Amino acid sequence: MTLTIARQMVAAEVLKLRRNRAVMGFALLLSVGVIVLVFGFQAVEHASDPSKNAPAGGIEGFSRAVRVLGLFFGALTAILIGAEAGTADSASGVFRDLVATGRSRLSLFFVRLPAAIAVSLAFVGAAFALTIGAAFVFADGSPTPTFSLIAQSAGWIVLANMIIVAFAVGVGSLTGSRAVTLTAVIGWQMVASLMLLNAKALGSVRDGLLTASLGQLMPVNGRIAEFGIATGVAVAVLAAWAIIPSALGAWRTHVRDA
Amino acid sequence: MTQSPNIIECSGLSKRFGERPAVIDLDLTVPRGCAYGFLGHNGAGKTTVIRMVLGLTEPNAGTIRVAGRPFPRERASVLARVGAIVEEPHFHAHLTGRENLRVVAAVRGPEAVARIDGVLGRGGLTDRADDRVRGYSQGMRQRLGVARCLLADPALLILDEPMNGLDPAGILELRTMVRDLVGEGRTVFLSSHLLDEVEKTCDAAAVIDRGRLIAAGPIGELLRDGRSELDIGCDDPRLALDLLDGHRAVASAKTTGDGLRVTLAGADGVASINARLVEAGVGVFRLEPVHESLEERFLTMTSRVGGER
Repeated sequence: MTLTIARQMVAAEVLKLRRNRAVMGFALLLSVGVIVLVFGFQAVEHASDPSKNAPAGGIEGFSRAVRVLGLFFGALTAILIGAEAGTADSASGVFRDLVATGRSRLSLFFVRLPAAIAVSLAFVGAAFALTIGAAFVFADGSPTPTFSLIAQSAGWIVLANMIIVAFAVGVGSLTGSRAVTLTAVIGWQMVASLMLLNAKALGSVRDGLLTASLGQLMPVNGRIAEFGIATGVAVAVLAAWAIIPSALGAWRTHVRDA
Repeated sequence: MTQSPNIIECSGLSKRFGERPAVIDLDLTVPRGCAYGFLGHNGAGKTTVIRMVLGLTEPNAGTIRVAGRPFPRERASVLARVGAIVEEPHFHAHLTGRENLRVVAAVRGPEAVARIDGVLGRGGLTDRADDRVRGYSQGMRQRLGVARCLLADPALLILDEPMNGLDPAGILELRTMVRDLVGEGRTVFLSSHLLDEVEKTCDAAAVIDRGRLIAAGPIGELLRDGRSELDIGCDDPRLALDLLDGHRAVASAKTTGDGLRVTLAGADGVASINARLVEAGVGVFRLEPVHESLEERFLTMTSRVGGER
């Protein structure tokens, strides 16, 4: 496959995603919309009683928004877009027509990843830009995030988003069903993982959870970052969460009866 | 290098789904540059054969050559010049017709992208190209499916039940399109249960029943099965029946409403039958060979195979 064809295929995947109004609408709501709500709500509270409520912006507000974006609502955006990218061809029946062109099934799978990451990052990137602006606008005299913290946070959000997109694309390509993928990935990542993180009896087994490793690498303060996983282990866990589902998705795309 | 005269050659092709055989030891040869019909009841194995030819599912036994090249070994290069609709054309409903073509053209390559406007025009979809496919009629979807096939500038088009859901005008349009494509030197391989349409559209056909190929060849040959019949309109059918009893050119005869239906023992007995009747004073006002339709032949062939089991 030439670079031109690869570029065309990625662009076609992006087209499929960005023309899906429902997915784009929810992705906007879950990323930019949530950040507007987080800062807006806090700003109103602070304005109503500055002595009891901290400013919406500053380092504290910034850290809160970064955590929300990286671990929760940015992750939901990534899951929504990844699930759509992983299942769109199978669900619509177009997969068969694409296979019948003679193009390798693996290439049909692998172009989904950069396309989904690009679309997901567009939303999360916009939300992050809003976060930076709001952190300064609503600082109200409190310390503002440094350039270094902003850069580290940006890198962490990009990393988290890429891994969760890959996870969702992989599971989507494995199951071929959008509903099953959304239920399974959201259920695992947003419900089961958080419950398991709090199950102290599991001990270091919890280090294998995606949320634990992401929390470990998070550059801002937060409860999940207090886990104490070695950085090398965290990186290996993150790589596994991206690679294993992707490999399963690629395998299923390769063997799926079209 | 000499071009193979056949666009599809299947030999000993078999496919099982679990214990159930779907295709059994099938030999099929489709010549280049014609419209080739593929007939069979629902579940006869037509789509399974098509899916194997496209590499969508693997045969359990047998070989496939497309355009003279072994398949699936040269799958990518072979399918680069093949356009196909399997079962029914599927699209991303939220994309426009043009965008759906862009998705497939991107997979095929830059030449296919350059053909998008042309194939939309060819499918008569230029005016609706920027509407979402969700709002397309069945006929428009079929035309968009054919347009998508043409992105490959295909030497071979495989259309699985392309007339499904089309109204008479749509069927006529499709028939014209198929003949135009054949006129350009392409081969159109189409499966259908609309036997009358296959008879009108195709040059040759194969009949499959319960996974086995039971007949193949030019439509004219398929319609001739070695048995020829003659309808004779006459003023005294009873006398005519007596006169022809034992005639060397007559295998059997029976009276009909206004005459006789005669099964000929050979192809050259019509003149002597006519002479016998006229000489005996029977007024003959019609001598008409009986043409069996493809549908009648198909039902005869497939019920015969069924009866053997």
